[in-house]
Amino acid sequence: MATLPTMLKKELLETWRTYRFLILAVVVLIFALMSPLIAKLTPDIMKMSFGKTLQLAIPKPTSIDSWTQFYKNMTQMGIFVVAILFGGTMSQELSRGTLVNLVTKGLPRWVVAVSKYISLVVQWSVALTASFLVTWGYTAYYFPDAKTPYIWQGFVPLLLFGFFFLAVILFGSTLANNSYGGLLFTILVVGGLYLVNLFKAAQNYNPISLIGNNMALVQGHKTLGELGPGIAIAIGAGLVLLAGTVILLNRKKL
Amino acid sequence: MSLGEGMSAVADILTLSHVQKAFGSKHVLQDVDFSIPQGSIFGFVGENGAGKTTTMKLILGLEKADAGVITVGGQPVHFGATKTNRITGYLPDVPAFYGYMTPVEYLDLCARITGISQRQRRIAEMLDLVQLKADKHRIRGFSRGMKQRLGIAQALLNRPQLLICDEPTSALDPAGRNEFLELLASLRGQTTVLFSTHILSDVERISDRVGILHDGRLQACDTLANLHQQFGRPQIKLTLPDAQTAQRCGQVLRPLPAQVQANQVTVPYQEAYETTAQQVLRALVTAGITPIALQQQSATLEQIFLEVIGNGHTTNHA
Repeated sequence: MATLPTMLKKELLETWRTYRFLILAVVVLIFALMSPLIAKLTPDIMKMSFGKTLQLAIPKPTSIDSWTQFYKNMTQMGIFVVAILFGGTMSQELSRGTLVNLVTKGLPRWVVAVSKYISLVVQWSVALTASFLVTWGYTAYYFPDAKTPYIWQGFVPLLLFGFFFLAVILFGSTLANNSYGGLLFTILVVGGLYLVNLFKAAQNYNPISLIGNNMALVQGHKTLGELGPGIAIAIGAGLVLLAGTVILLNRKKL
Repeated sequence: MSLGEGMSAVADILTLSHVQKAFGSKHVLQDVDFSIPQGSIFGFVGENGAGKTTTMKLILGLEKADAGVITVGGQPVHFGATKTNRITGYLPDVPAFYGYMTPVEYLDLCARITGISQRQRRIAEMLDLVQLKADKHRIRGFSRGMKQRLGIAQALLNRPQLLICDEPTSALDPAGRNEFLELLASLRGQTTVLFSTHILSDVERISDRVGILHDGRLQACDTLANLHQQFGRPQIKLTLPDAQTAQRCGQVLRPLPAQVQANQVTVPYQEAYETTAQQVLRALVTAGITPIALQQQSATLEQIFLEVIGNGHTTNHA
C-alpha cells in the first residue's frame, strides 16, 4: 500500500513528460472553445453559404445548440482521442520490460494496475472538468438564456462513463500485447454496447445510456435518477474490469 | 557425477530442488537441483537457449516452475508476487528504464519501492559507484553501456543479499567489463552473486563456484578446483616454428589425441606428465622436429565446459 503514492506520482510524471495529458487537455479545450462558437456562427455560415437561395428561416441559436455541440464532440471525438492516447498504457510497459526492475524489487502488481487507473481517472476528470467549465463560461457569454438549467446533470454521467471507459481501456491494454490490440478490444466493447442498445429493454441498464441522454438531462427532460441502473452497471463493470486487470497482470510473464 | 560437492558449512541463500520448466513441448529445465552458499560468487554458464535466463526468472518469481521448489533466504519463491524479491537485486541482460526520467529520479523510484532509509545518500553513493552524473540528463539519451551501469546501480541499491545478473558484461567495453568484474569480486562475503555469461574467462576470474547447464540439465555444479579435478584434463602445449611443421607434428604424435591450431599443438593426457612428455619428445626426435617451446598446462574452463557438455572429445582430436 505504501508504494501506491510512489507509483501514482510516477504515472503522473510519465503522462506529463510524454505530453499525453497536454495533448488531451488541448483537444478537449479546443472542443470547449469551438462548441459555443460553432453554435453562434452556424446561422451566419449558412447564410454565407446559401445566400438568398435559402428560403427557410434559420432559428436563432441558443445555449441548447452550444451544449449539444459540446456533448456530440466529447462523446464521439473525445473518447476516441482518450482511447488512442491511453490504449498503450499497460501494453507498452509489458512489451518494453520496464516493470521487471520494479517488480523484482518487491512492487506488488496490483499497485501497478490501480495506480495507472487512478492516474487515468485524474487526467480524465481534470481535462473534462476544465473543458466543461470553459464551455459553460462561453455559453453563458454568447447565449444568456435559461434553456439549459441543469448543466451539472449532463456533466456527471459523461464523467462516470469516462471512468467505465478507462477501465475498459486498461483491461484491454493488459490483455493485449500491443497498443493496437488494446484499442481493438476497446472498440469491440463499445461496439457491443451499441448493439445491446438496439434492444429497448436493455437501454436503461446500458452504460452507453450515460452518453446518450446528456441533453435531455441538461434541459430537465430527464433526471439523473432515471439513469440510475445505467450508472450502477457502469460503476460495477468498471470495478470488475479493474479487478480483472489485476488478475490478468498477476498472471502475466514479465 | 555428484553435484554440489565441496559445499561449505555456510548456510545456503538459494536452493533449487528438482525444478522443471517446459514451454509447450520444449523442456527447458529438467530436474535442476543446486544451491548457493551465502556470500559466494556463482558463475552460471551454458549455451544460448540452455535455460540460464529461465532459471533466473524462476528464482525471481517472473516465471512459474512446472515442478520443484525454489527458496531464497529460506523462504519459498512464488510466481507473480514473491516476498523474496525484497532481498534480491536483479540486473537483466538488457535493462529497461523510463526514458523520460533522470537517473536520480529512477533510483529514487526504486528506493521508495524497496523502502530504504537515507535515500538521497544511497543514490549518490550508487551513482558515484557506477560513475554516472546526478544531472538533468534523461535516460532516453543514454548509451547501452550507460544504461548497463544504471542497471547495476538499481540492482545494488537496496543492498541485496542475493544479486542476480544476466550476462552483465555483454554491453560493456573492456575497461567497463574489468571494473564491473572487480565490483562483483568486491561483494564477495557480503552479497551472494549469481551471474550468467558467455565469457568463460570472466567466470574463471571471479567465481567460487560454477554451474554448467546443458540440454536443460545441470551437468556440473561445483567449485572451480573440483571441476578442474573432475573434468579438466591437463595438457602439454607445443609451439612449433610454423603451421606446416605443426601439422606434421600432429601426425607423428598419433595415436595421442593431439589438437593442431596454427603453429601450436596441444596434447591432453591422463597418465603421469613424465610418461606423456617422454612419449612426445621421443616421437619428435625420431621425426626430426624441434619445438620452440613445450609447456605443461591445466585445462581452461572452456575446455572443462566442452568436456562437460560432451564436445570435449570431438574438439580435442586432431
